[in-house]
Amino acid sequence: MMMQTQVNSGRAAAAPSPAPAISVRNLRMGHGPRVLLEDASFDVWRGEIVVVLGGSGSGKSSLMKSLIGLYQPMAGDIVIEGRSLVTASAQEKAQLQRKLGVMYQSGALFGSLNVLENVRFPLDRFTDLTLEHKNLTARMLLHRVEMAHAEALMPAELSGGMLKRAGIARAMALGCDILLLDEPSAGLDPITAANLDRTILSLREHVGLTFLVVTHELQSIFAIADRAIMLDPVSRSIIASGKPADLRSHSSDARVRQFFNRQPDAHKRRPS
Amino acid sequence: MSTGTANRTGADDAESIRLPERITAQTAAPIWKSTLDTLAHNPAGPIVFDASRLAYVDNVGAAFLFDLTRRERSAHAQVEIRNLALNVAALVRDFDAADFVVPPPGRRDRGILEHLGQATAQQIAYAKQMVGFLRACAGAFREALTRRGAVDWGDVLDIATEAGANAVPIVLLTGFLMGVIIAFEIGLVAQKFGAVIFVVDGVGIAMLRELGVLMTAIVFAGRTGAAFAAQIGTQKVNEEVNAITTFGLNPVHFLALPRLLAAVLVLPLLTVLADLIGIFGGALVMVTFDVGFLQFYSQLLGAITAGDFMLGIIKAAVLGLMIAAVGCHRGLTTGAGATSVGLSATSAVVTSIVLIVVIDGLFAVLTS
Repeated sequence: MMMQTQVNSGRAAAAPSPAPAISVRNLRMGHGPRVLLEDASFDVWRGEIVVVLGGSGSGKSSLMKSLIGLYQPMAGDIVIEGRSLVTASAQEKAQLQRKLGVMYQSGALFGSLNVLENVRFPLDRFTDLTLEHKNLTARMLLHRVEMAHAEALMPAELSGGMLKRAGIARAMALGCDILLLDEPSAGLDPITAANLDRTILSLREHVGLTFLVVTHELQSIFAIADRAIMLDPVSRSIIASGKPADLRSHSSDARVRQFFNRQPDAHKRRPS
Repeated sequence: MSTGTANRTGADDAESIRLPERITAQTAAPIWKSTLDTLAHNPAGPIVFDASRLAYVDNVGAAFLFDLTRRERSAHAQVEIRNLALNVAALVRDFDAADFVVPPPGRRDRGILEHLGQATAQQIAYAKQMVGFLRACAGAFREALTRRGAVDWGDVLDIATEAGANAVPIVLLTGFLMGVIIAFEIGLVAQKFGAVIFVVDGVGIAMLRELGVLMTAIVFAGRTGAAFAAQIGTQKVNEEVNAITTFGLNPVHFLALPRLLAAVLVLPLLTVLADLIGIFGGALVMVTFDVGFLQFYSQLLGAITAGDFMLGIIKAAVLGLMIAAVGCHRGLTTGAGATSVGLSATSAVVTSIVLIVVIDGLFAVLTS
């Protein structure tokens, strides 16, 4: 007989810490001599969903890669939960990176492992749990992202949306506090994209995760974002920060209104 | 106080376990194990988990709590979690134990017979595919010969440069060493019988008929055959092959034909280099056996024929065609994902080396 377990909830959730989860100060970054972003400063608060948006080539994905320590900034500081990623030693950097869950555009699942093994991979590497307990944790994560039915499939057998959801589950396996998602809705059908948005909101609500999402899918931005930060490839700076609905209607910057209202250029822009 | 393990107390009738402040991926293993031990040792009695201190769980901690709630126990031996914080309880309540009853599918161990059967079936399927591919290649060759402009010779030249000119250093090195080794090994034995001069015959014939072409073909298979499979395999994974097909182009003609032509042209040239440098290496060694360069040269001219040289060159052309065909075929049959590209490249090299030996054997039988 399956036992009925009583779960008595006796306390309210603890108050969130006032320190930002991610703090970026005067960041200058780019590739080689090419600067993509100058003097960028912003904070991502705990439990917040912040969307980084901007046109193609504005440095959204590069900013995300700087935040996870894959690219060294040219100047400025990136602070993750109170510790600088820029000045951290290699060991400290690895510890900080473990606090971050990252979902790459393609999901970046390991092709030789099935979905369950992919999600279990960080647990295999970094915990002493038994196989049964690792499997249970991984399967619960797959349930959370609505991928339980696909646990035995290989990555090559998954659709784009399934790859991304499995990528999110793997990113969360070690109990990260901050999830960074690179273009989660890109290339997905509207239903799958809406499901993914619902998954993100559910994870924030139930797990209390902080999200930094790189995207330019307007529907997703309005569905999930508490705040949007807009990058501009011409001025190489942050040109707007605020609630998406406010930016669409009330931004003083025409480029921001144009982006949010999905309007074409009045004249062909000259290359900068 | 934060502890890494659950504390046991026995305040009332039920076994009581106090959970620590945090249960995370790093701390959960001993807690989970000791808790399950407690459950196993008390199959008939109720157990209470006091979560009043528990403030934080991550996904592993949530899995631990859920695992407690799904254990099968008798009605009098219930498990109760008391004083669980609302935010922690929320992490567990979405899950239904029934969803996790079936164990995850593990990787099934296949017996040797199943392995053997599957491998045989794969090889038969591969042979059928290869025949179809060679037929398509023959069609592409026929078109290349009969229709002007059917071959992009610029492509052929680029591939020939990469597969041929850039392979010259390694072919020279392996060819030279092969000549040196053969001359030295045969020389040591021949010296005992006073037949050192006949080592020249052995080096010349072996290099021209067998070793020059074999070593060059093996290097070519490892270097160029694998590259062909990886290049075309990556194009297949990136759907470039589909794009070529939807343009109305034949992928065999577009991707394989230039590589086949380049390989047929280049491998004989590399073989000539390997032959020459191998014989030169042999001549150098023979100096240590008191056979000078002039004596080596005159003995060599008497020992080898144009037929020996041509046999090696024809064999090189056939092996070049085979290596390129196997590489292109493996590339075009690549599955999905980056792993498949690696498998295609490996498979192309292994198949090519096996076929090199088989084809060499056939030539030996046909020309003996």
